[in-house]
Amino acid sequence: MATATDVKKRMVRINGCVASAQAAKYADVDVIAAYPIRPYTATMMALAQMVANGELDAEYIVADSEHSQLSISHGASSSGARVFTGSSGVGVQFAYELYSPISGSRMPVQMMIADRTLDPPGDFGSEHTDALSTRDMGWIMGWSCDAQEAFDNHLIAYRIGEDPRVLLPQMVCQDGFFVSHITGDVELPDTGQVKEFLPPYKHPYPLDPRHPVSHGPQIMPEQGPPLQLERARAMEESMPVIEQVHEEFAKIFGRKYDPWVEEFMTDGADVVFFLQGAHAVTAKFAIQHMRDRGMKVGMVRLRTIRPYPTDRVREVLSKFKVVGVIETNMGLGSPSSGGVLYSEVCAALYESQHKPLVFSFMAGMGGEAIVLKEFYWMTEKMLEVQKRGKIEKRTHWVGFEH
Amino acid sequence: MSTKGTQIPEWLKVPFAGITPAPTQEKGQDLFPTGNWRSIRPVYRDKLPPCNNACGTNEKIQGYLDLVKRGKYLDAYALIKEDMPFPSVTGRVCYHPCEQACNRGKYDEAISIRAVERFLGDLGQALAKDVVKAGPSNGKKVAVVGSGPAGHSAAYQLARMGYKVTIFEKSPKAGGLNRGGIPDWVLPQDILDREIERLVELGITIKTNVEVGKDITWDQLKKDYDACVLAVGLIDPNSVRAEGEDKQGVHYGLPFLRDIGMGTSKVKLGARVAVIGGGNTAIDCAREALRQGAVEVTMITVEANPQEMPASPEDLHDMREEGVELMHGRAVTAVLGNGKIEALQLHPAKFSGAINASPITVDKGAKPDRFPVDNVIIAVGQRASLKWLPDEFKTERGTIKIDRFGRLGDTNFFAAGDVVQLGSGQPLMVVNAVGDGKRVAFNLDKVMRGEKLEPRTIPVDVIFDLNRMNMTYFPHFPRVKQELLPPTSRKKTQQEVIQAYTEEQAVEEAARCFSCGTCNACDNCYLVCPEPCIVRDVRSNGLYKILVDYCKGCRVCIEECPTGCLEGVPELDFDTGVVRMDTAFAISPGLHGRQAQELKNLGDRAPKEI
Repeated sequence: MATATDVKKRMVRINGCVASAQAAKYADVDVIAAYPIRPYTATMMALAQMVANGELDAEYIVADSEHSQLSISHGASSSGARVFTGSSGVGVQFAYELYSPISGSRMPVQMMIADRTLDPPGDFGSEHTDALSTRDMGWIMGWSCDAQEAFDNHLIAYRIGEDPRVLLPQMVCQDGFFVSHITGDVELPDTGQVKEFLPPYKHPYPLDPRHPVSHGPQIMPEQGPPLQLERARAMEESMPVIEQVHEEFAKIFGRKYDPWVEEFMTDGADVVFFLQGAHAVTAKFAIQHMRDRGMKVGMVRLRTIRPYPTDRVREVLSKFKVVGVIETNMGLGSPSSGGVLYSEVCAALYESQHKPLVFSFMAGMGGEAIVLKEFYWMTEKMLEVQKRGKIEKRTHWVGFEH
Repeated sequence: MSTKGTQIPEWLKVPFAGITPAPTQEKGQDLFPTGNWRSIRPVYRDKLPPCNNACGTNEKIQGYLDLVKRGKYLDAYALIKEDMPFPSVTGRVCYHPCEQACNRGKYDEAISIRAVERFLGDLGQALAKDVVKAGPSNGKKVAVVGSGPAGHSAAYQLARMGYKVTIFEKSPKAGGLNRGGIPDWVLPQDILDREIERLVELGITIKTNVEVGKDITWDQLKKDYDACVLAVGLIDPNSVRAEGEDKQGVHYGLPFLRDIGMGTSKVKLGARVAVIGGGNTAIDCAREALRQGAVEVTMITVEANPQEMPASPEDLHDMREEGVELMHGRAVTAVLGNGKIEALQLHPAKFSGAINASPITVDKGAKPDRFPVDNVIIAVGQRASLKWLPDEFKTERGTIKIDRFGRLGDTNFFAAGDVVQLGSGQPLMVVNAVGDGKRVAFNLDKVMRGEKLEPRTIPVDVIFDLNRMNMTYFPHFPRVKQELLPPTSRKKTQQEVIQAYTEEQAVEEAARCFSCGTCNACDNCYLVCPEPCIVRDVRSNGLYKILVDYCKGCRVCIEECPTGCLEGVPELDFDTGVVRMDTAFAISPGLHGRQAQELKNLGDRAPKEI
């Protein structure tokens, strides 16, 4: 058995899409359901090449829509196959019908998301609304901030989702372009490491003509609540599994991630950004600059939004005076009239004895980069609020205010 | 954790995330009963096929065709024997009302039921031992007077029920009309002999040369037997009331055939023979005349054309093929000749009202035709000879007076066959006499057991409408024809004209049956059910079961039932004690079901009492 000290690792410079494809290859997936939509398409292109070259022995099925992609994935997973699929933007939404059935029948399908702004009109840029709109469908969900993390998260997610205590589908999200199309150094592991980390998929009740079972039969109304309760329980009980899997991942691959939040320069910080995904990379540079200039600013990056680590978020954020939530998603008519993360943060903090002031920034919308000076501007806003002891308003549209 | 401390009650637990064992397994049924979605329930309700309905003795025709189709010949023979003692006979002589009623006749060609019946009858003849056994003796003795079709049938059924039966037959040989009314080239005598032997094998005593009223009296029958069935038939031929009918060379239909059948005939026919009458007996006489040496045979009828003749069209066709001429719209008014017949005097004539059911009007004013003949055979029906019968049991039309159960008053005498059916509107044919004998036997048995005789009250649903079946399942397919001897050679011999089916032909023909309204285990419902909620242990008629806890009432099986035996019955017609969707939402012992039950139990109580 391979161990972290005896491996044939190699460094490659690849983008997020290819990192995801590589992860699928290392996970030795059985079925790939593809349908093109930018920006995730590059992942499927890479996988198509791998299958064509014989690098990966998998059924590569070109679906006729995202709905079919997910239907194929559902069926394939039901029959005991490890499935990989993916999409972006409106494609994610076209498959919406399938998200609940897949988690409801507890099929650990994995879906790679490279975010894309929802229409209107056609905009290729990244915005998290596509995947976030499905956040309550019973899928384990979280964002990576670079290609390496994307690669790692795919392997971690399979391991969590296929755990017999969990059996839930996973959305492994990365920002379109900022992760999917920007190359970075990625360490590809030795296959032995992956074998050690990720055992073969085995569903307890696969579709098998030799052992007939019914999947998804019609049920009586009173049989609905128990099934929902079981699904809720699976989601909740996945939390210790998630933590355990991250620890094992660190042991085998040598990269340690906090499963729930990444804290950056939060020591002694008064104000922090709370965000998900790729903009954390820019944020870190900005925070270093500002720290150099004496501003007590830090960053908390949410790594897993479903299941939502309520207690952990409360614990972490209660230390600060001000939390500025960078949304990168649309929550039209939401409590903050901005995005949806604000409510998640506030809900976590409601029971806290030391509630920081919380407000949010609409930044990175439509796939715009959040540039350094915007981070400076947002930091100043947070410091102002800290000084005043009161928020000015719940949501600021960055770039549209002075 | 929100799910902490939660518990799912036992009765709502499922193995995993709504995944269940296969629903054909009982467990799955228990877990997800969806039967309450149903407003229509598929029910197997066999209808009476029109052939069974039309048959004079209600043979289970669809049933034995189906068995023949499956190669279960012995079972088929046993089934036919429930209602028909001699399928080898009716398989040859029957005028097959079943085939006239056959729904397939409206589609392409009727099933050749008689030919299949003959196939089975001949199979039965070849058996060393018959499948039918006499019932355990009940110690009762029954006399059957007459060994024709009705007497034969009654005796047969009574013996099966355990009666000690004695048949009295006036002639030297048993068989009655089967022997004396049907020519050998239709029914070879050895076939009939074998069927009579079968009666003896059942323990029936046959006493020939015993004439009721002469050798045995009414009082003797009454004294010596617990009960009696009178199946004496119609013996005396009707006259045409023509002048000179007593001349030499004048013969009557049934006696003519009977004497040939009994081997006692002394008739020598001349070259030119006329047959008077347009019925089936007249046709048999005309064809027999050819075989008895006649060269020119002419059939003279009052009916204005062949279509009006009360005869089997097939037999009429075969007769004309053999060269018999037809002369219509004429009645014999005198037999001319000096002591011996030389010619017939014919006048134009017609029925005064309905064909064959009204007096004949003869146009005496018209100039008569002289039709030279050497012999004439008069075949215009028969009448009963009932001098021995107490007057109280005689009807005005010279038949035996019976109630609707075939019983003579409150006596233990019953009557069956032509002697009661003449003029009743029933066509006089062998199969009707057989049916009559059978029903009378069952009624007699009821009386013997002290049971009340009651008319049948269950409504009978006969499928006549092809739309009640799914015709897409039946490709058009021609009838398998029976071979016939060529007309030129056959008309000089006593050889059987119509040839038997081969086994392959019988199976092919039986397979054409629609099985109208009756399950024939085609498995279609089993195959088309979108959910596996039709089950069967073995592939056999009537053994399918609908899992009502699971059937959603989608109607697919009903629509796709080729025979129309599956019916959609409104769920409300069933008193299953189940709370259904229209009253609540669940049939399982779940929350909704229990709540609905509680609501139901509230009944009419006023709100304040609750």
